[in-house]
Amino acid sequence: MASRKTNELVRMRKERWLVMMQLLPVMLVLVLLFGGALVLGVAQSLGFAPWFGVNTFPDLTYFKALWGEPSFWRSLWLTLYYAIAATVISLVLGILVALALVRRFRSKTLYKYLYKLPLMIPYTVGIALAVIMLGNGGMISRFMEFVGLIDDPSQFPQILKTHMGWGIIAVYVWKQTPFVALTIYAVLLGVGRETEEAAAILGANKRQVFFLVTLPQIMPGIISSTLIIFAFNIGAFEAPFILGGGFPDTLPVVAWRYFNDADYTLQLQGMATVVSIALMASGILYSYLAIYRRYERRIGRH
Amino acid sequence: MARRTESTTALGDRLSPFQKLYLWLIAGFILGPFIPLIVQSFAFRWAWPDLLPSTWWLEQREESIVPLAWDYVFSPYSQVWEATVNTVFIGCVVTVICLIICLPAARVLARESFRGKAAFEFFLSMPLIVPEAAIGIALLMIFIYVGLAGTYTGIIIVHLIPTIPYMIRMLTAVYQGLGRDFEEQAMILGASRWQVLRLVTLPMLLPGVIAGALFTFLVSTNIFLLTFFMGQGKIITLPTLLFSKISGGTLDASAAGITLVVTLPGIILLLITERFIKEEAFGKGFGN
Repeated sequence: MASRKTNELVRMRKERWLVMMQLLPVMLVLVLLFGGALVLGVAQSLGFAPWFGVNTFPDLTYFKALWGEPSFWRSLWLTLYYAIAATVISLVLGILVALALVRRFRSKTLYKYLYKLPLMIPYTVGIALAVIMLGNGGMISRFMEFVGLIDDPSQFPQILKTHMGWGIIAVYVWKQTPFVALTIYAVLLGVGRETEEAAAILGANKRQVFFLVTLPQIMPGIISSTLIIFAFNIGAFEAPFILGGGFPDTLPVVAWRYFNDADYTLQLQGMATVVSIALMASGILYSYLAIYRRYERRIGRH
Repeated sequence: MARRTESTTALGDRLSPFQKLYLWLIAGFILGPFIPLIVQSFAFRWAWPDLLPSTWWLEQREESIVPLAWDYVFSPYSQVWEATVNTVFIGCVVTVICLIICLPAARVLARESFRGKAAFEFFLSMPLIVPEAAIGIALLMIFIYVGLAGTYTGIIIVHLIPTIPYMIRMLTAVYQGLGRDFEEQAMILGASRWQVLRLVTLPMLLPGVIAGALFTFLVSTNIFLLTFFMGQGKIITLPTLLFSKISGGTLDASAAGITLVVTLPGIILLLITERFIKEEAFGKGFGN
């Protein structure tokens, strides 16, 4: 009896070891890269950079210098504004596309190819498209001249390179609406239409069906897709760099400029910027998830 | 019964006119801008406010000493070929490495339950929700220090970060759908672990593995920021090449041509992935 128990124990231990071994490679890569970046980033922003001859760890001066500048807060606001505006617009547009896609219509197969194109190509392509459409000499400006609204490119309302950021938001929306649509459409396919139909039979109107049945069903898809695109938008670099309004830039661009400054001690301030981005993003994402948990509990799911 | 059919049709299975219009608008928003882009790539002179170029590339190409528009794109000066080779090479290596390290983990995640599984799953999706700029700049410091910045190895390593979550999710979904009956039968019939893997598991996994690999390749070819940071300008890929052409905020004929070239792999992958990646599988990966 005792030996059987030990055998069982040995087997279990062996199995657990096997599980660990299979998880190890992926874990190692992420821990090394993530952990390394995290530790070094935080240490450096706190004044640990012996390779520059700077070592005043722990030292809050870089954060104080960064957070003491009014331009930092303007950058932070711009970063948040672009990210939130684009996420909300993409979410609404994407959900509407997904709701239409579950219906039957002609050329649906073709449409399912077409709408995914932005998912397949880099953001830089979207930026090029924004330049050719929205620039002062762009297509929309030309069409406005054609219909007689303006007669000089300078009369065209500035869309790119302003702090309103319409160009940046347009690029994000162009790229992310298909992503939201695809995610939500997949969830809709998974849950099927039976509950919606049941609600309709029981007398719910279209509005009630959407808000009381469909929306709670697609909530997990909404949460995961918004988390992904919002985090991306916070850390995006190329669109604000090319289409942004210049000083004050969004935080990733600010960090990059500090990092490439000839004065290499500014790199520590750049690292403080990076840590600030990470702090802000994790704070927002964490509270977003916490609110979602409460919502799930309220509707009786966990 | 009559009431039921009535209600089902009342809920609607077909598109409403508003939805039809909406889908047209979205298609126009997504694809419309490509039309002036194509026109621009063939233009030589296209002044404001002309709706079409006044002089085309083909009219000018004999008279010019330097290569114009598409001639430039296909000439070695544009570095398009070099960037394409780099992009494909990096994408392939990243896909293979990612597949090798994710397959065992996905198997465990789909089938075993162990302490800390939820935490581990959350950890694996971290790369999706940590801003790229934060990771990129911090890693660049380390990579400069250890001499990996500006090397293929460095770029391939950082490309693993955003690709792992997608690969894990897609492979886990595949394993979950697979069930373990066939493997157990093979084992009962006396197959070794290796034989089971080679003769049973892998063939059944293959469609899912192809889907995951294509998706990983796609993600890798689209990465700009990490390549831009780690490449240090020494290694260019299609997204970074395009960035350098349009970073001034203007778009000439050759930049338009390069934009179209950069779009091309996406179109090819779209045609392939549509066959392999089903919406349902994607939903399993991201719906929860």
